[in-house]
Amino acid sequence: MADDSAGADGASGLESRLAAYLAEKLPDASDVRVDGLERIFGGASRETYRFVLRTHRDGEDESRRLILRRDPPGSLIETDRAVEYAAYRAFYGTAVPVPEALWLEEDGNRLDYPFFIMEELAGLQSSAQAAAPHAAKLTPQKWSILGEISKADPAALGLDNVMAAVAADECWQRELSYWENEIDRHELCPQPIARAAIRWLRRHPPPPAQRVSVVHADYRTGNYLFDEEGTIRGILDWEMAHLGDPLEDLAWGLNPVWQSADGRVGAIATREEAISIWEEASGLRADPEALHWWELFSSVKGQAIWVSSAKEFTDGKNQDLILALAGWLMGNRQDRAILAAMGHHVS
Amino acid sequence: MKPDVGRLLEVAVGHLMGETVPMIGRAYGHSVYEQSNVGVLGMMLLAVRHEHERAAARRVEENQELRRMFARAGTVVGAGDVSERLAAAAEAEDTDLTVSALEESNAELRGLLIELHAAVEEIDSPEARTLEEEIWRELAASTRRRALPTLGDT
Repeated sequence: MADDSAGADGASGLESRLAAYLAEKLPDASDVRVDGLERIFGGASRETYRFVLRTHRDGEDESRRLILRRDPPGSLIETDRAVEYAAYRAFYGTAVPVPEALWLEEDGNRLDYPFFIMEELAGLQSSAQAAAPHAAKLTPQKWSILGEISKADPAALGLDNVMAAVAADECWQRELSYWENEIDRHELCPQPIARAAIRWLRRHPPPPAQRVSVVHADYRTGNYLFDEEGTIRGILDWEMAHLGDPLEDLAWGLNPVWQSADGRVGAIATREEAISIWEEASGLRADPEALHWWELFSSVKGQAIWVSSAKEFTDGKNQDLILALAGWLMGNRQDRAILAAMGHHVS
Repeated sequence: MKPDVGRLLEVAVGHLMGETVPMIGRAYGHSVYEQSNVGVLGMMLLAVRHEHERAAARRVEENQELRRMFARAGTVVGAGDVSERLAAAAEAEDTDLTVSALEESNAELRGLLIELHAAVEEIDSPEARTLEEEIWRELAASTRRRALPTLGDT
């Protein structure tokens, strides 16, 4: 496993190797240094580190807080870092707030694994507990930003060049087949609840997508940053982004596993508020039957992710404890969500 | 074996959360990866304590429930390969009560449950609908058996 405490230039010399890489990228700067490199908890599909880049340029000392997102030896989900990087670049400066992505390096020889570097949106919060007190202000922002993603033209953003095309009537099938295959590949024990849901989803396909949009695919609490005033400053973790049915994103955000104990979606909004705000911002309609299909699908996808996390941990590819926790806790919650969506409740 | 495993884990978690986590925070800062990781380890140990207590009991209970269901299911799905395997599974017993052995037999039974469920969905009869409802009740019960209240189960 890669070094976690990479600061003070630990055993692998990550700090100095990162500084050498950045010096090549900044030929007009001198005295390029990396200070305070430390790993951030979470982000099981990428190792995430924060650091301060210090340089001397045009007679001035400069510093900038940056983030290193590096592929881990094993990953919760197998994602294309180039797509994630492209999504940050595409949405930067639009109505969808994202940090500036700076460099992508797909050569695994530089820092042991491929990586990219982006600006750090420092001092911000993203947990459900932190979000709840700002619910009134966060709710319209969170769901209207998702509406902006759904409304965005992938071709105008240049994302149709990096994301696989899909026809409006094939979005559901492609996603369902992908995540079913993930369960096939990674399940350590039979999943009778998820399998029943998959059979139902195949027997009751949704209507074609109203439009083929950019789908963030992990739009939830924990993946957006907001300041102490309750203003959302950045949408993060685009690692599963793809083209597809925008209802997929709405449904994922409504997934019961992200709800607070009082049933507020993402711990901040009522279901009706979230849907209404998204509809207004996107110009699309959340047909209840179609949305139900995508909500059940989102629980199958969630279970596929938790099954994969248990597999990665068990195989020793990635022994981040958060993977074990996900396998135990989230897997059970996701089964409950599937049962509820199919009209069967756990007393 | 004394002290009990549960008590040992409680004390271990107390050391981790009460001493180690604050110590890491004082030495390296309160948002470092290592501190969060040790915090998760503490939560996992509490879950291990809960699972240790029930591990054999919940598997024995579930395996018995599934075998009872399989014994009745053969008449609904009719003669054939699935029916024969249901009958064979219904007659089996758990003689090795180690958790790993119980887990293995549980996985076999749950795999067969998937086949039974899929087969029953294709049968148009009142008996099939009754059995389907029974399967869903068992799936809900299996989810309840696996819940981890120490991790904030909702």
